[in-house]
Amino acid sequence: MLRYLTKRLMLLVGIVFVISVGSFYLIHLLPGNPATVILGFGATPEAKAILYKQLGLSKPIYLQYFVWLGNILHGNLGISFISQTTVSSVIRSALPIDGEIIIISQILAFAAAIPTAMRSARKPDGIVDRVLGATSFTLLSIPPYILIVVLVLFISIKLGVSATGPSAYVSFGTDWITNLESLSLPAFTLATGSFVVYYRVLRSDLIATLQEEFITMARSKGLSQRRIMWRHAFRPSSVALLGAASVNIGGLLAAGFIVQYLLQIPGLGYTLILAINSSDFLVVQGIVLTVSVLVVAVNFFFDFIINIVDPRISRE
Amino acid sequence: MSDDKLLVVKDLTTTFATAGGDLTAVAKVSFDLERNETLGIVGESGSGKTVLSRTIMGLQPRVNTTVTGSSIIDGFEVVGASENDKRTIWGTEVAMVFQDPMTSLNPVMRIGKQIDEALRVRLGMNRKDAKARAIELLELVGIPSPAQRYNAYPGQLSGGMRQRVVIAIALACSPKLLMADEPTTGLDVTIQAQILNLLDELKERLKMSVILVTHDLGVVATRTSRIVVMYAGRIVETGTTRDVFYHHRMPYTRALLESSPKVSNKSHTRLVTIPGRPPNLLDLSPGCSFAPRCKYATGQCHSERPELRPSIEPGHAFACWNPLPVNAEATLP
Amino acid sequence: MSNFSLEDAALMVERPEKSEPLGLFFWICVFWVGLNIFGAIFANVLPLQNPLFGNYNAVNVGPSLHHLFGTDDLGRDILSRVVYGSRVSITVGLGAILIGYGIGAPLGMLAAYRRGRFDAILTTIMYLLLAFPAIIATIAVLSFWTPRSLFKIIVVIGIASVPLVYRVIRTATLSVATKDYVIAAKVQGATDRRILLKELLPNIAPIALSFFLIGVATIIILEGALAFLGLSVNPPTPSWGNMINEARTVLSQNVWLAFFPSLALCLFLIALNFIGDRIRSHFDVTEVKL
Repeated sequence: MLRYLTKRLMLLVGIVFVISVGSFYLIHLLPGNPATVILGFGATPEAKAILYKQLGLSKPIYLQYFVWLGNILHGNLGISFISQTTVSSVIRSALPIDGEIIIISQILAFAAAIPTAMRSARKPDGIVDRVLGATSFTLLSIPPYILIVVLVLFISIKLGVSATGPSAYVSFGTDWITNLESLSLPAFTLATGSFVVYYRVLRSDLIATLQEEFITMARSKGLSQRRIMWRHAFRPSSVALLGAASVNIGGLLAAGFIVQYLLQIPGLGYTLILAINSSDFLVVQGIVLTVSVLVVAVNFFFDFIINIVDPRISRE
Repeated sequence: MSDDKLLVVKDLTTTFATAGGDLTAVAKVSFDLERNETLGIVGESGSGKTVLSRTIMGLQPRVNTTVTGSSIIDGFEVVGASENDKRTIWGTEVAMVFQDPMTSLNPVMRIGKQIDEALRVRLGMNRKDAKARAIELLELVGIPSPAQRYNAYPGQLSGGMRQRVVIAIALACSPKLLMADEPTTGLDVTIQAQILNLLDELKERLKMSVILVTHDLGVVATRTSRIVVMYAGRIVETGTTRDVFYHHRMPYTRALLESSPKVSNKSHTRLVTIPGRPPNLLDLSPGCSFAPRCKYATGQCHSERPELRPSIEPGHAFACWNPLPVNAEATLP
Repeated sequence: MSNFSLEDAALMVERPEKSEPLGLFFWICVFWVGLNIFGAIFANVLPLQNPLFGNYNAVNVGPSLHHLFGTDDLGRDILSRVVYGSRVSITVGLGAILIGYGIGAPLGMLAAYRRGRFDAILTTIMYLLLAFPAIIATIAVLSFWTPRSLFKIIVVIGIASVPLVYRVIRTATLSVATKDYVIAAKVQGATDRRILLKELLPNIAPIALSFFLIGVATIIILEGALAFLGLSVNPPTPSWGNMINEARTVLSQNVWLAFFPSLALCLFLIALNFIGDRIRSHFDVTEVKL
């Protein structure tokens, strides 16, 4: 177990290194001078000179990386030339919104996927399974951006409620009811996409697990079907579910970006897109770096949980 | 409850609906079992013995499977009973030791919990008592330092140890009938004897009846009082162990005996093999299923199926049109 | 089916029949995908109106005989824009997955066949890349690598898909490469090239094809998302994604403008996913965990 975790941790460090190099290099993909890129076109020569010195731009590129890395490790991601605030403060104010949307959506998705998958797997190809299968299949082919457009249309036109906008967003601490109201639509949209994935993965894994001999063994002990499903089938299958959730996080963030952008909720995604459109590259770089590291950290966390659930994995 | 027999099986038939058509895995099987008796069910792989043992206790797959006939365990009719009703006898009246200890234990559950569970759910024990009893059971089946092993996962145990755990689970609720389906197939030869001796010993100690299902006549020779020989889902010969070994009439039984190695053989004795392969159950001939592989087969064997008929010893019966002579013993190599 | 054992039977009863027919809906889906590709290729030859020509006398008109799908807020023909728009989606989807397969598939097969250090190193690298959230990486690279073009989009998504393809193909090959007949072929002295092409390739083809189609669908969704973020092809060139995005602002005046590209996109995705899923279940391979 410990050895396994050490190995994973080393991999994690490797990945973070790759991510940092990638993020660092992004700026150099741009045509032109990094100083212009960072400060914008209207920058004075004096400001450029300071930045040159600060980032060591006259040095070879691998040294520049270490200067940059040193800054990052001190929490210094640079300054947004649009808002003139630090990139880290921009991220700090936006990040909790993403976190909240994702957590709500995952609670909804798991709450819907687990019972439905259990129900489907109990009688594969039964009527319930077929209906759920067809539904999940259709939902799988509806991208989140279409779903959200349909939902907004439905809510604003049919229900006569105005769609959410930037003004509708209130932080959880200020007014949690309004906060949850404003985040329910994005969370629901993301939950739908996740539900489909979780339902399908869990269903197919449960069906395979239910064929195992130890299920027949559990039956022969005289256990109730309910107990067999939850204690004997669900636990081994939940490994596949957690794996799917872990892989899903990256996609979830991206879908969250679009949903935020469409609903104008000032999370990371919305901020990122505004930054892209206004060429505020340090903000883009900071968000890419933060999000990547977070995704990797979440994956690592899931690995750890999977390890606890299924002791076979760390022994391999 | 005729004659207070523990198990009465009558015309038991199991049919699977498969893509290739209906497949009768067990056909019209009848036999019974006394209390505290050990019975052997013997046959090649694919002869229907595993399906039979599961059908007897009602553990056949729940979908696409049809069972007819009757199987009465201590007065409880298994055939046609609902899963809920069968649950009341599973574990407490009848339990099963599964074939492969590598796949029959839940890999993500501590072994102690797998024993506990039956005790708590079926016998209503509390957590503490169940744990104490589980450790007792682990000790009973010969697992060293049972209190520590209680927290082990199946993957941390050897095959022989796992099979002992499987037996402990089967014994948890003190069943009257223990079905042992090839309990030693997946194990090393040295471990096999240990497990079989353990089963014997436990049977005496706990006053159980045991049905020992195996393809290996050597396994049943000294441990059973009676034997049922199966071929293509049917009983082809049954009788006391002695009669089946020494007075068998069915050529298939002979072939099975000849193909199992004996200590008394001189070294380098060639084993006799049974020519041909087990029949395709989806495409059975109207005659005797063994006829295509039988050197005594006649036209009648291919066209008409022989029913079980009594031999001269009491309780000895066989299904064959051209049986071996009564003094078959003399012709054994 | 000559030697059918009971153990097999017991397994089979709990599984659906092995080679069930593909079914009518499968062929409808194939037809639909074919039709879309045909439309994308021959859009200029087909009797369609100019997708860029705005008729200011017919702005936001509903479906009619003259404009089957109606017109948009600039008076452009929606039908024509939907057909032309499929070009971008299909080109990106096919182009990117071809890059992914071109690099990922041979590497995955070789790694699974050779094993050893080659496999270990390559697999570690791929897992490193896989952990890097591909979508974020795509967004990041496309937002910095200006000016954007269809070619760059395809290259970036294609490269991002390499580790995924590698993993699927490697897993599939691994399960075949350890089968007895492959080992038998090796023992008989068959060349590596022969084993890879004659023994392994045909056996992983169903999984490869299935994942190919589902991959195209996934990339098309991604392309749409990029269009929403303004990272795909620039207007006025139509793509399904940017049509839906532009339609959002005029949703209350003209629902058709969002409806038709959305419908086209969803139907195409359903068809692709269904064909992929069907091929996988037809050849009875258990779902590769993605």
